Amino acid sequence: MSVVLQEPVLQEAPIRSRRGIVLETIRRRPSAAIGATLLVLVLLGAVLAPVLAPYDLHKQVGPVFGHPSWSHPLGLDDGGIDMVTLLMWGARISLVVGFAATLVSMLIGGTVGVAAGYFGGKTDTILMRITDYFLVIPDVPLMIIVAAIWGPSLFHIVIVIGILLWTSTARVIRAQVKSVRERVYVKRAQAIGAGHARIVLRHVLPQVAPLLIANTVLTIAVAIFDETALSFLGLGDPSRISLGKVIENAFQRAAISTGAWWAIVPPGALVALIILSCSLIGQALEDALNPRLRVAHLSARRFRLRPLVGRGSEAL
Amino acid sequence: MRGADYVIKRLGFAVVTVFVAISLNFALFRLAPGSAVSNLARVPHATPELHQALKREFGLDKSKGAQYVIYLKQLVRGNLGVSFENQQPVSHNLWVALKNTLPMVLLGTLFSIVLGTLTGVVAAWRRGTAVEGATVTTALGFYSMPTHWLGLMLVILFSGVLPTGGMTNDFLINPSFWTHLKDLAAHIALPSLTLGLVLYGEYTLIVRSAMLETLGEDYILTARAKGLRPWAILRRHALRNAMLPIATLVALSLGYIVAGAILVETVFSWPGIGRAVYEAVLQRDYPMLQGGFLLLTISVVFFNLVADLLYFKLDPRITQ
Amino acid sequence: MRRAALVLLVLALAAAGCGGKSSKSGSAGGTFRIGSSSGIDSLNPYVAFNQDAYSTFQYVYPILVQYDATNKHFAPFFARSWKTSDAGKTWTFHTVPNAKWSDGKPLTAADAAWTINTDVKYASGGAANEAGLVAHITRADAPNPTTLVVHYKQAPGNVLGQFQQFFILPKHVWSKHIGHKGADLKTFPNNPPVVGSGPFTLVKYQKNEIALFKRNGSYWGTKPKIDAFGLRMFSNDDAMISALKAHEIDAVEAVPATGIKTLKGAGFAVSDVPGLDQTDFIINSNPRKLHHRELLNLKVKEAFAHAVDRQQIISVVFLGTAKPAYSIVPPSTGAWSNPNLKPETFDVALANKILDGLGYKRGSDGIRVADGHKMSYDVITPTSVSSANRTFQILQPDFRKIGVQLKQKALDATAAFAEMSAPNNKYLNYDLALWDWTSLIDPDFMLSVVTCAQYGGWSDSGYCDKHYDAMYSQQQLTPNQDARRALVWKMQKYLYDHRPYIWLANDDSVAAVSPKWDGFVNTPQGPFNELSIRSLTTLHKK
Repeated sequence: MSVVLQEPVLQEAPIRSRRGIVLETIRRRPSAAIGATLLVLVLLGAVLAPVLAPYDLHKQVGPVFGHPSWSHPLGLDDGGIDMVTLLMWGARISLVVGFAATLVSMLIGGTVGVAAGYFGGKTDTILMRITDYFLVIPDVPLMIIVAAIWGPSLFHIVIVIGILLWTSTARVIRAQVKSVRERVYVKRAQAIGAGHARIVLRHVLPQVAPLLIANTVLTIAVAIFDETALSFLGLGDPSRISLGKVIENAFQRAAISTGAWWAIVPPGALVALIILSCSLIGQALEDALNPRLRVAHLSARRFRLRPLVGRGSEAL
Repeated sequence: MRGADYVIKRLGFAVVTVFVAISLNFALFRLAPGSAVSNLARVPHATPELHQALKREFGLDKSKGAQYVIYLKQLVRGNLGVSFENQQPVSHNLWVALKNTLPMVLLGTLFSIVLGTLTGVVAAWRRGTAVEGATVTTALGFYSMPTHWLGLMLVILFSGVLPTGGMTNDFLINPSFWTHLKDLAAHIALPSLTLGLVLYGEYTLIVRSAMLETLGEDYILTARAKGLRPWAILRRHALRNAMLPIATLVALSLGYIVAGAILVETVFSWPGIGRAVYEAVLQRDYPMLQGGFLLLTISVVFFNLVADLLYFKLDPRITQ
Repeated sequence: MRRAALVLLVLALAAAGCGGKSSKSGSAGGTFRIGSSSGIDSLNPYVAFNQDAYSTFQYVYPILVQYDATNKHFAPFFARSWKTSDAGKTWTFHTVPNAKWSDGKPLTAADAAWTINTDVKYASGGAANEAGLVAHITRADAPNPTTLVVHYKQAPGNVLGQFQQFFILPKHVWSKHIGHKGADLKTFPNNPPVVGSGPFTLVKYQKNEIALFKRNGSYWGTKPKIDAFGLRMFSNDDAMISALKAHEIDAVEAVPATGIKTLKGAGFAVSDVPGLDQTDFIINSNPRKLHHRELLNLKVKEAFAHAVDRQQIISVVFLGTAKPAYSIVPPSTGAWSNPNLKPETFDVALANKILDGLGYKRGSDGIRVADGHKMSYDVITPTSVSSANRTFQILQPDFRKIGVQLKQKALDATAAFAEMSAPNNKYLNYDLALWDWTSLIDPDFMLSVVTCAQYGGWSDSGYCDKHYDAMYSQQQLTPNQDARRALVWKMQKYLYDHRPYIWLANDDSVAAVSPKWDGFVNTPQGPFNELSIRSLTTLHKK
């Protein structure tokens, strides 16, 4: 699925034990470890926002675009609200959207991928055609339209992003399922007469799960990016403050030309950090889990740009 | 014969996809609440007759099925209809917007390829060192930045130094060719730089991986043993190996590029196709929307096809 | 990054060195560059909708009258004098003799008559955009090249107000485009060079980019001092203000409140005058609405009005560059605005008292219950109104204090209107909304938006009251200006009491100009406006 190629097989032994994956990954990829640490910190900050946030999210504590000061290290936004507070709460919403949209995407993509890979034949063909169709939809215009049709509520945003992201998951899972399916113990199970559901649940899914997790992490990054883009275009949920909305608010009120860089730089930097962390972790996981991904890459000629961290039309 | 088979199958798929996309888009737009008529009828002292007249004019008084058929008929004749907003042919509106987007986006892609290749080479060559780590992380770092945010950062950095909006300085009266060129360059610099920075990471990774593969191969060891200098090795073998993925990536990104660099265009007031489509949505300008989507879908499908064929041509082992 | 910036700086200086800076020779001439974040949607008066388009037409087409320097009274323009007869049913205008269109053909009263008659003929078709301006006209004649006679069915009260917005088009160009029963009027792109006869001609136009105007050598009136001006379109305020600071443009017609301090600090002349824009809180007043009918209760509306903290809105949203609004016709329209009306006080206790008096008891969560349901309402906010979010965030907690729960429902403008007018332009469903209005100086338009006839048109409040409609028709047909004014005041009071709108803030028109220029006059409609050609004809370099 991803454009990223991991190390050539020659130079690294593939990791067999799942337990050893985390430690091995950290050892080989210090950047991933850093990414993980950062992400955990952000998560903590976001989860504990109600407790840790220094000021009230809705209370004006100073002038519009107040300068950074000791009591407000990152200054104030266009409503006179403390930026640090906004960042903590904003990260919360952004992460929620990211996780929720990824969940939607995982569910759809995982199901489609497993079904296509496991059943093969006509099911596979039909599902892949549908996947291909979704791949060629111009995503940003579609997101704009759906947000316009349904209205920009958080729920709708999550669904929209989820609907657009499942394709890459489906692909990866399908490839993996296909290879697992050929394995001896699966064939043995079938010979014994085990039902499809049982085989999928007990034999296929466990083999696919790690890859799914890696893919999940990468999808979260894309989802967060998409939400930021939607907010910027004015289609974000206005009743919730996400990091994207913080940027958009500042932009709408001419923060830059007013010199209020603190209203724009930190939220975007935080988003970039979150996305970067997710990418590093996800990439490292993928590398570690599936050396044969390289082959999958060469044959996955219909990948989108988005998979890595979601470029493609949103980038533009 | 398998080759021809494959090509035909892919072409067939492309055509079907476009048709399905057109039909679904047609339905989707008409699902959006609010109609262009209510927008256009907001003139002082509007009358019910006006509403009716507008509906008739836009063919919105017919059943959806009839509208669909009319739309298809017009499409076959190459007629994309007339924009509700400015009453001009959609094809003209789209062409003008597209003309504006293309140079900026192509320049950005070029920049990302060049920068990506350079950093990829460095990363591969300096495998295992801190340089590699830093290069890759920086590349990923830029890749992780929200495009519009990076654009805004560049605006903050360069405002006063480079123009931060628009395509040209339209107030240059009869500029000389050279002046005009410099002006265009100054205006296109930041938007395409934004695009380039945000996209180059992918090329870095591809080039690096491709090179690492090649560098580990036996014939490279042989070449080195023979005394070939590193740069020659690079050029002749490693980079060539990276050509396929790069070419594919370029083809794919071109497809999506036509989708309009909407985020960049919004930040830099670039009058391109991204903005045109965005505004069409807000105004429920169905003909513009249908035309715009058609354009985007065709471009994506076309370039995906190109990428597929490239792969097929360059690596015939894969025909799955 | 800094080094890269330096390198690019060298490149950029080279590029910018040949920038479009006006010549420094004397106080005449030069090109004035205006920045706008709204834009011209079309060059065809039968299609255009945006303010900038109309301001463009103001400078390019002949118009019978314009507003004087006070922006309250009418001054001669293409019509040098006028008189009425037949109890106001006939108006005779004497127009400028020996005038020419920019292509050399003669400009006479016949062009005016043709435009009027064409608009009347195709009022429900191609000329619908202009239909409002030729209401009640039966026909127009031009007995000689400098006399225009307009015949009315009944004597209207706002003839000059209407003609002030009426653009006279060249018959020899436009008569070719009346095919398909006038529908062709709308498809004519009217590309530059536009055949017009104003102080400037439009010579270049690129949508979403630029509109360039050159001084019209054959203009029949006061010649402008500058050589040319241009309107440069920006897609956001930030880019526009940055461009102004970098001297890529010379003026900005609508400065966002947050930019005022920076611009003043950078030496720009920032002018702040009362404007014609007002933001409003809409209460669906359709007497036939299906649910939440307690919102039709005038006392409930009154209570709501006392829960609105206008000062906070003005301070946070507009940074002080606005005044509390209270009438559908804002004070910047001069004598048309009823001076006896005042904004309601922000008094939560009073609001609570009123609601208590209606028997709407609070539930355990603090939300009142009315007619068996909670007083919890959706407030529709169009995403096109940039002040809506912050305004809602100010209203929400205050309404909580009076036991009313507000939930925001953001939609794009088209979807918002569709939801408010649903189903089928019957306004049966929605409860509350936030929006804004831009008034004209003549009150007729604003007063029309709450008539029954505007269902599906301009009405966003669902307000429909026969008594009000009667007053509206009457003021339209009252030629005596004092009588008309009295009626207009009465109508404002009536609406004040019936409250389809709770008016929030009347924001100022804030413009900024480079100190190198003088004479760019700000008005309630901005300096580049549809009121008069004053600004760009008095403008000159210092």
